Amino acid sequence: MNTVTNYFKSLLLIELFKGLALTGKYIFAKKITVQYPDEKTPYSPRFRGLHALRRYPNGEERCIACKLCEAVCPALAITIEAEPRTDGSRRTTRYDIDLAKCIFCGFCEESCPVDSIVETRVYEYHAEQRGDLLMTKEKLLAVGDKFEQQIAADRAMDARFR
Amino acid sequence: MNAQVKEMSKLALLTAADLKEIDSEIAKYPEEQRQSAVMAALRIVQDSNQGSLNQDLMDAVAEYLRMPPIAVYEVATFYSMYEHKPVGKHKVCVCTNISCMLRGSDGIVSHLKQRLGISFGEVTEDGKFSLKEVECLGACCGAPMFQIGKQYYENLTPAKVDEILDNLD
Amino acid sequence: MVTIEIDGIELKVNNGSMLIEAADEAGIRIPRFCYHKKLSIAANCRMCLVEVEKAAKPLPACATPVTEGMKVHTRSPKALAAQKSVMEFLLINHPLDCPICDQGGECELQDVAMGYGGDVSKYAEKKRVVREKDIGPLIATDMTRCIHCTRCVRFGDEIAGLRELGATGRGEHMEIGTYISKAVSSEMSGNVIDVCPVGALTSKPFRYSARAWEMRQYESIAPHDCIGSNIYLHTRRGRVMRVVPRENEAVNETWISDRDRYSYEGLYSADRLTVPMMNVDGEWRETEWDTALEAAVSGLKDVVDHSGAPQLGALIGPSTTLEEMYQVQKILRGLGSDNIEHRLRQRDFSDQDAAPAFPWLGTPLAALETANAILLVGSDIRREQPIAGHRVRKAHVAGAAVFAVNPVDYDFNFALEHKLVVDPRRMTSALAAIARHLVTITGATNPAGLDKLVQSPEYDTAARAIAERLRQAGRSTLLLGASAINHQNFAAIRMLSALIAELSGSTLGYLSDGANGSGAWIAGAVPHRGPGAQAVQTSGKNLAQMQGSGMAGMLLVNCEPDLDLAEPQSTMQMLKKAEFVVALSSYKSPALLNSASVLLPITPFSEMPGTFVNAEGRWQSFEPAVAPMGEARPGWKILRVMGNLFDLSGFDYMSAVEIRDELQKLVGDVAKDNSLAWRAPEAGQIDGGTLVSISDIPIYSVDALVRRAPALQKAQKLLGPGFRISAALARKIGLKDSQEVKVKQGDREARIAVEIDDRVPESCVWIHADISDASKLGAGYAPIVLEKA
Repeated sequence: MNTVTNYFKSLLLIELFKGLALTGKYIFAKKITVQYPDEKTPYSPRFRGLHALRRYPNGEERCIACKLCEAVCPALAITIEAEPRTDGSRRTTRYDIDLAKCIFCGFCEESCPVDSIVETRVYEYHAEQRGDLLMTKEKLLAVGDKFEQQIAADRAMDARFR
Repeated sequence: MNAQVKEMSKLALLTAADLKEIDSEIAKYPEEQRQSAVMAALRIVQDSNQGSLNQDLMDAVAEYLRMPPIAVYEVATFYSMYEHKPVGKHKVCVCTNISCMLRGSDGIVSHLKQRLGISFGEVTEDGKFSLKEVECLGACCGAPMFQIGKQYYENLTPAKVDEILDNLD
Repeated sequence: MVTIEIDGIELKVNNGSMLIEAADEAGIRIPRFCYHKKLSIAANCRMCLVEVEKAAKPLPACATPVTEGMKVHTRSPKALAAQKSVMEFLLINHPLDCPICDQGGECELQDVAMGYGGDVSKYAEKKRVVREKDIGPLIATDMTRCIHCTRCVRFGDEIAGLRELGATGRGEHMEIGTYISKAVSSEMSGNVIDVCPVGALTSKPFRYSARAWEMRQYESIAPHDCIGSNIYLHTRRGRVMRVVPRENEAVNETWISDRDRYSYEGLYSADRLTVPMMNVDGEWRETEWDTALEAAVSGLKDVVDHSGAPQLGALIGPSTTLEEMYQVQKILRGLGSDNIEHRLRQRDFSDQDAAPAFPWLGTPLAALETANAILLVGSDIRREQPIAGHRVRKAHVAGAAVFAVNPVDYDFNFALEHKLVVDPRRMTSALAAIARHLVTITGATNPAGLDKLVQSPEYDTAARAIAERLRQAGRSTLLLGASAINHQNFAAIRMLSALIAELSGSTLGYLSDGANGSGAWIAGAVPHRGPGAQAVQTSGKNLAQMQGSGMAGMLLVNCEPDLDLAEPQSTMQMLKKAEFVVALSSYKSPALLNSASVLLPITPFSEMPGTFVNAEGRWQSFEPAVAPMGEARPGWKILRVMGNLFDLSGFDYMSAVEIRDELQKLVGDVAKDNSLAWRAPEAGQIDGGTLVSISDIPIYSVDALVRRAPALQKAQKLLGPGFRISAALARKIGLKDSQEVKVKQGDREARIAVEIDDRVPESCVWIHADISDASKLGAGYAPIVLEKA
């Protein structure tokens, strides 16, 4: 019996029309495709993109080299070295994030007691060589300096849920 | 380690009379317990040095009683009646504890501060008076009160304070 | 024994022990801060409150003695509530700076707060702040974090024997500190870091450099003294970050000396030798291992071929591992030379045939503290062997009488009952005086030649008292320290000490130089004996003979010839005259660059396996903690290849363990016997001159590693310059403190600032042997002339 039904279904091109109906429906439906990079979709303030190291408003770097992010990082992407700075405060001498290892879980941000390491909304970055994906302290601070306003606004927006 | 050995003896800072008095205190304790006399020794030394101690004097006491200096510092900083800064000739110790406070010690304190031009822990320019806030001296029945030298003055009023201070030389 | 019950578990415990001890033994955890098993009980933190049935209030477990039938609950609601409240009070003034605190991650306060504290604090008022104190280059302070457990104060008082820290002020104003900022000067001060339950006292060199959880822990043995303290090396990413003690009740208990704790910094000194180097026409070039080894071996072979094997010698640092020492002597003896020497600071070798199989302590280290009388002969034990010094102090605290016959009135952290501070020239006479009194007391026959040695009647009273006390003590011991062993007249000192020991029924012990001074004898690193003290056919040249006759070829292992030897000048001359010198070294030391032909980089103790034999004859092996730096290789591997290149048989070792096993099988149980038959010693003289120099090695200059540890060097600097004379002598010459003086010794001259120190006998000049000016001078324990500059 099934064989007969299938025979007629294919003879009458029913599947084809079903498919065309779906295509037809989407021809007239509202379009959701955006023309990246000219157009962009909206995204959350919690977006976990490129990392940054923040500073206090007086220009002092926030990071105190507690190494909690290094400890919590599941991908072992963070490497920190620290020593006393000349003023006696605890500072990093090296703060590397290997973006090739990073899984963007955001644990580093969660663990930071001084809101220093953050993940920004920046996702448009690239590297031509593998080594370029190693974010050094200088690079991370530069990202932080560049996007500080947005980072601060995003943190403020999210603050009441924390 | 070597620096300690090289340090000069500070015993010369103690007068013969002081040493004699300290000796009589030491005699009250078993021979191997010389350090028991530390509080008395500090008091004696403080009394004969214008009412205050300094590090050299404490070191001298430590040396005489054969104690580590830090052990003497511990005692001297623990008890509030040992002074570590120079005090005036008359140390006015005002009680501000509860009974005196309820009976108006605040007024006495502000009057004293105004009259002497100093606040707690300071010495007048002429070195005559210093002011100190103390806890209960056990004379609540005569509150408010203060102590100058070894004398208690009770049931104080600003007028009475003036009279007392005027009569001190 | 009493029976108690803790948390429903029935325990049999010793009468008089405290609850916390009983609980610890049974593995029941009671939180604590102020209690420490090696310190007295203070019971001031109140963290260990537990509920005891029939007691109205919770009781502190550390200060509650056990009684029969006691029922204790450590986790009952009442106990928990008490612990929680105490925790809350302790945290009132404790800053929440765990992220920047070095103790974070290994903090007792953190752990206990997690386990027993609340999650919210009710305290909203201001926290107190205490200013940091500078207590020297070794310990960093953050006294705001202090919870006033007073462990550090008690450590200083009871263990270090120096009451330097104290609690001043009271209540909220209480502060732990030195009152006046001054450096804590104990040679074991670093232990307060381990003792401190919070981050108030931390290691200064280690500050902020690593976290507890990042590091791996490797067992090792401290390479500086004859104790062989058990340590852990904490490493991160192939680098030793710090050293902490490893508990071993028989050796170092829970303590280590500052020297063992901070010397790791020297491992990463800028002048580490990491590539083999060759001197090509007066110029040093880095080279490959193959080339360097070929050159080293062929150079030494040439020496043997041209000048004969007896012209070849080896100097081995006394902190070299057993395996390396054994192989060096195997190579040398394989080539036909017995000129192997590790006694680099010794001056008198005249009685070396009478020496024991290896210089041992005479008693187990732990037994030292049960002695009733201890006589130190030429020993600044605190600085030479800090852990042994601690045992002596423990003995003294327990009531033992300690005496000293020393060239300098060293300051000890225990009181000396009698002391003879004598000019080194009269050391023998002082010892002879003691021996003579013992002869009288015991009624023994007077050994021939003894009376001749007694020259100084002024020591009589003290000598008699020492003799009597030693004789009466029951358990007594003599310890020969560096100033005795390195003395110009060591043979006589040894003989007299042995006589005193025999007559008084004491044990005689040696505090030998380096980490492996005992192992060196066992391995055969001496010219007159093979491994295990077996006699050799013909005795080789000892250090003095080598220096005297000059050598054509030298192999230097783990020593800096200008700093590790008794007579640096003559050694340097000998090396410069030698045709070919191969040095196995961890450092590019200037003296080696000056004198060697080939430098082969060997690894320090942290990067190789090895064995040290400590003074009590305990073989302690260790494994590498980190990989060798650069091209450096463990000495045993290099020596094995050299053995192969020399075509010697028996160099097919696959591991260091094989070498140790071979040696162990060869020597078996080496006899521990320091006794000596009487033979009248020469009353040796240091001729001429009215003044004599006493040269001892400062605590942080003993070997290449500590000399390169910056923090220790800073600490040493605080002790002041090392050229000291007595006030009387200074007056005689007309000198003031820190004034420069013209110093002549032999044909050498130097201008050095003197320091006035009345611990030095009037006829002596005390020179810390390697202060830079002093190294321009000649021998130690030799005539010296001071002239007003």
